[in-house]
Amino acid sequence: MIHLLPLIAPAALAAASVVAFLSPGPRPRFAVRSAEIMALLALAASVLSVVVLADRGAGTGPTVGFGDIGLAARVDAVSVTMLSLVSFVGWVVLRYAATYLDGETRQGAFTGWLCATLASVLLLVSAGTLVQFVAAWIATSLCLHRLLLFHPDRIAAQRAARKKFVTARIGDVALVAAAILLAVGFGTGDLAEILEAARAGAVPAAAPWAAGLLAVAALLKSAQFPTHGWLTEVMETPTPVSALLHAGVINAGGFLLIRFADVMLLAPGVLAALVGIGGFTALFGGLVMLTQPTVKTSLAWSTVAQMGFMILQCGLALFPLALLHIVAHSLYKAHAFLASGGAVEGVAAIRRPGPVAVPGGGAIARAFVLALAIYGAVGAAFGFESKSPQAVALGAILIFGVAYLLAQGLADAAPRPLTRRTALLSVAAATAYFALQTGAERLTAGTLPATPAPGPLEWALIVLAVITFGFVAAAQSAFPLWAHHPAAAGLRVHLSNGLYANALFDRVLGGWSVRRPS
Amino acid sequence: MAENATLTTLHADALTEATDAAMRAIPPAWPLASNVAVNPFLGQTGDGLAQAGARLRRVAGIRVTMPRSWYAGRIASGAIADEDLAAALACAPPDLRPKDVPALKEAAMRPAPEPEALPTVADLAARVSGIDWPALIAERIGAWAAGYFDEGQALWAAPRGKGAYAAWRAYATHDLTPEVAGLSGFAAHVADAPEDARAAIARAVARLGLRGAALASYFHRMLVTLGGWAQYARYRLWQAELAGGSDDVLVGLLAVRLVWEEALHGRHGDEIGARWEEVRAGYAAPVAPTNDLVVDAILQEAAERAAQRELATLLAAPSPVPAAGRPALQAAFCIDVRSEVFRRALEAADPGIQTLGFAGFFGLPVAHRRFASDVEERRLPVLLEPRISTRAGGPGDDAADRAARIAARAKRAWGRFKLAAVSSFAFVEATGPVYAAKLVRDGLGLRAAGAADDPAPRFDPTLDVDARTGVAETVLRAMSLTENFARLVLLAGHGAGVVNNPHAGALQCGACGGRSGEVNARLLAVLLNDRDVRSGLASRGIDVPEDTLFLGALHDTTTDAVTIYAADHPSPAHAADLERARARLDAAGKAARAERALRLPRAAGGRGVASRSRDWAEVRPEWALAGCNAFIAAPRGRTAGRSLEGRAFLHDYDWRRDEGFGTLELIMTAPVVVASWISLQYYGSTVAPEVFGSGDKLLHNVTGGIGVVEGNGGLLRAGLPWQSVHDGERLVHEPLRLSVCIEAPRAAMVEVLARHDGVRALFDNRWLHLFALDDEGRMAWRYAGGLEWTPVEARVECEPQLETAG
Repeated sequence: MIHLLPLIAPAALAAASVVAFLSPGPRPRFAVRSAEIMALLALAASVLSVVVLADRGAGTGPTVGFGDIGLAARVDAVSVTMLSLVSFVGWVVLRYAATYLDGETRQGAFTGWLCATLASVLLLVSAGTLVQFVAAWIATSLCLHRLLLFHPDRIAAQRAARKKFVTARIGDVALVAAAILLAVGFGTGDLAEILEAARAGAVPAAAPWAAGLLAVAALLKSAQFPTHGWLTEVMETPTPVSALLHAGVINAGGFLLIRFADVMLLAPGVLAALVGIGGFTALFGGLVMLTQPTVKTSLAWSTVAQMGFMILQCGLALFPLALLHIVAHSLYKAHAFLASGGAVEGVAAIRRPGPVAVPGGGAIARAFVLALAIYGAVGAAFGFESKSPQAVALGAILIFGVAYLLAQGLADAAPRPLTRRTALLSVAAATAYFALQTGAERLTAGTLPATPAPGPLEWALIVLAVITFGFVAAAQSAFPLWAHHPAAAGLRVHLSNGLYANALFDRVLGGWSVRRPS
Repeated sequence: MAENATLTTLHADALTEATDAAMRAIPPAWPLASNVAVNPFLGQTGDGLAQAGARLRRVAGIRVTMPRSWYAGRIASGAIADEDLAAALACAPPDLRPKDVPALKEAAMRPAPEPEALPTVADLAARVSGIDWPALIAERIGAWAAGYFDEGQALWAAPRGKGAYAAWRAYATHDLTPEVAGLSGFAAHVADAPEDARAAIARAVARLGLRGAALASYFHRMLVTLGGWAQYARYRLWQAELAGGSDDVLVGLLAVRLVWEEALHGRHGDEIGARWEEVRAGYAAPVAPTNDLVVDAILQEAAERAAQRELATLLAAPSPVPAAGRPALQAAFCIDVRSEVFRRALEAADPGIQTLGFAGFFGLPVAHRRFASDVEERRLPVLLEPRISTRAGGPGDDAADRAARIAARAKRAWGRFKLAAVSSFAFVEATGPVYAAKLVRDGLGLRAAGAADDPAPRFDPTLDVDARTGVAETVLRAMSLTENFARLVLLAGHGAGVVNNPHAGALQCGACGGRSGEVNARLLAVLLNDRDVRSGLASRGIDVPEDTLFLGALHDTTTDAVTIYAADHPSPAHAADLERARARLDAAGKAARAERALRLPRAAGGRGVASRSRDWAEVRPEWALAGCNAFIAAPRGRTAGRSLEGRAFLHDYDWRRDEGFGTLELIMTAPVVVASWISLQYYGSTVAPEVFGSGDKLLHNVTGGIGVVEGNGGLLRAGLPWQSVHDGERLVHEPLRLSVCIEAPRAAMVEVLARHDGVRALFDNRWLHLFALDDEGRMAWRYAGGLEWTPVEARVECEPQLETAG
């Protein structure tokens, strides 16, 4: 019975949603207050679920409904992590929106849809049954659609929402098909039972197909190339929606892969595809982000890249790290969106302390060597031997990023105290990263499958990933040396336009056609 | 041949002239970091409201007055009386105005026709092709311009060092988006376009079949379709001209927009030919007001006259007798309307306190470098060039300066680590959880904005004693503060401590270039406490007593807390004075917050007013200058003891002590003009928010660190956000043009106007109203234009015109 606890979270926000819809107009004092209180209640229920998990162990609550068709809360490391994350971000966003939207003529309705979206996401992450999972998945998307069209007359909002709608419906079809294959194949709608059977090797023939469909749904949900266009265009709605979208809703794709990790492992080909698409999107999004002069748009491209990286982690079967990435990214991105009004001051502050010291080739080489040394030292302290080759490779990729930080301090023009500071920051970042990684692995051990030993295909992908990320990281460090070369000007234009994938999507959907008054 | 060449030259001259006229019709928009109010009608002040309305309707599709229902409501409520309507009617052009007041009232009940701009080629092409070209053009030009004007948001900045048009050509010849959207061959079209912006304009104009009178109007229309981008480019031109140079960015933008028109004309010219010919004729037709525009202008003026009647009643009340003897404390504040509330509260807290009003930059045209900063900030009205260089901190602060720079550079390196490709993944996985704490901190508003605490400013390079004394004397005389100094004199600049607000600059001191005013205030205190300066002043007839201490201070207009920079000039002898001043300031702050709470949403009882400064979700931390409608230059006694509701700029001025009326000239040409920019910015952002406002704060997306776009991208938006003039249920700013009331001889004012055409145009065309106060501070005379005055009591002031009509 105690495993019913997580359902309190979505129930609280659903109730808050109903209250808000009762006063859809401006300044609904009671509705916004009760929304925040209900969000805090959801947060409390999530934290209590963690306690229950620690005390009683993982389990699925009784089904509320008819047989397999119904709601049942899952309590395990994955679900309580996501519950806590979403309810925390939900509280912050609702509190923010209560002030931010003060005076809007439809503040009540907005609060209602915000609560409804949050309730759907909470229902999704606590799902113990296929039915709950699929229903919550679709409900999230439909509620979000209403938020994206909060200014229904804005043509750009319609354009983005329509792209999102088309992408999401294709994803829904894939997910429903996958769910049917799983339910029929495994003979049950209970998630824990399906995962257990998959792990035990009792696998129906359709399982790889189901994994493929799950991957399609996940890729569409997490705005992977070339279907990323909608995500970079949904700044047409108030800032809290962006925060919720980028910190809560967008994670659904990654969560899907993590939740069904045992099923995904049954299809190595699908995982390889995830590595390819995720890895490409990560680099593509990261490079496009560099060219974006507009703060929220830059953050959106950052999300595209981060989701790509998370998909890459799933493809490498590093599910605990993918979960860590979701949590860490959500917290960062929620804050970044809500605080994006500080960009004027942020840009002004960049120029005050004088010019940036540009690292030359030698400094960059030293930075990479030093970074690998830090990796070796910190990694040895945490124990390399317990890590899979995939995890080691991923650590190397991340340490390439740290090399960029080091390179800035090693530049010839950089004063000594600055070199010391960046080196300290680098060590701190490397240590924090390993500590968090180890923590994530320990906490999810038993819930998420261990990373299997790589075969030839996996090895090839690992090498490819390390080389391409290493190359881009080196290019990034040497950036000031080549980025303003005339030969790079054309590349910059193409990248800044996201390689036109979105323009083509607009063309197909008639995004720029003149609206006839309806 | 020769004849052809002459024609070409003539045409080139006409093009240059039209280009120049169109550029000057666009108001400049300052970057948000030094966000100052700008008169959006800056290019139209040579015309009256109706004529400007006709022009802006044609080129921007906006109205320049409120909807008729707004006026009708005020007529019905009695706020606008028949006498106001009659007086405004009498001053309108006889051939276009309603015949009498009943006819005017009837017109007020009918909605005015919806304004519609003349179409562009892009508009016409959209109709025949079904593709929304105007939106696509705005999006594409926005995507390029955001990169071109970026001040440091993108790590991979757009190529530098080219003119705007050349940079755009380099971009547009690579950009495939227009062709994907359906304009095939666009990149080739751009590649074929002339390399020089003015040549491109000439070719486009020729192909579009435009000439003569149509040019200026059409160019103006083109620049309006570029929204804030054109205004930002106009700002670059403004700055260049202020420094004696010139700038071609705006010409480049015009060329860019025309190349688009030319391309669409090339594609759809046949289909839109006939309609385009009509439209061209429309552009060539002279701009002339319609009856409806004249009715709107009359109603607007009537609303202003109604407010002036109220003001006149208020000023006619007897003045309190000023306390004799030495004041316990003197405190000078900015003329900003927000100071009025606080000054009144401070005077009420202690009748021994004397307050003064003066432009918040305290007459010091400063270019200032903050502590540990290389960046020069212009802390002076944007009409002026800096003449004094200062920096925070002296030689004793060098070690701290270095340490602060290292810390800032490490933070910057960390910021680049956060945003770069690949390293951003490491950043997220290593530090993401830290943001949980930041979300709690900011969500609960635990981080205060706080007043600036740089070391005291100093001259860099230093000024000699004579120069310092000269500056000090000029400032004191301009403040009419030359005798009867208190023991403690506070010089209070103002700023607004807010967080997470792209438009924070709009809440700061406009006279300090959109920055907080503590630097100038502290600098003046340094100057006036200087022993050498004091003795120099004495020899020039200004005796500052030995025991007078000047201190800089900062009035935070969001919290109404006043920070005194007492550590700049430690003086144990003044400890008791300081303590009493702090107690009075606290009491005044409390009273001012309580008064402001009545207007602010969610601030009942005055609680929660101060916490707005820390709330990262707050879109209305304070009302800034919303509601401003009067400027009064007179001794404080004329306005003391009565509430002007935070709507009046108060400038201390005593004409009897102004030999040669130099100070009068200064007031009418600097503070009055700055106040007109503020008043008209509020006016424009209220009556035409779609063009002169920056839109919805909920959708703002900061671009390039210089401005905001609404939503994804597209046009930069300048002006005030809608949330700054509207509380969600009603307007908090009544769009009324400023009434300037000056206690000075009329002849002296007329002389000033006669010398300054730009200022005179503001009054002659009624972008400002001018009143002369009599010896008892009553609004006695109204400036009627043409350097003439009429007595305020007169019922109908434009008698001659009325007779012509009748």
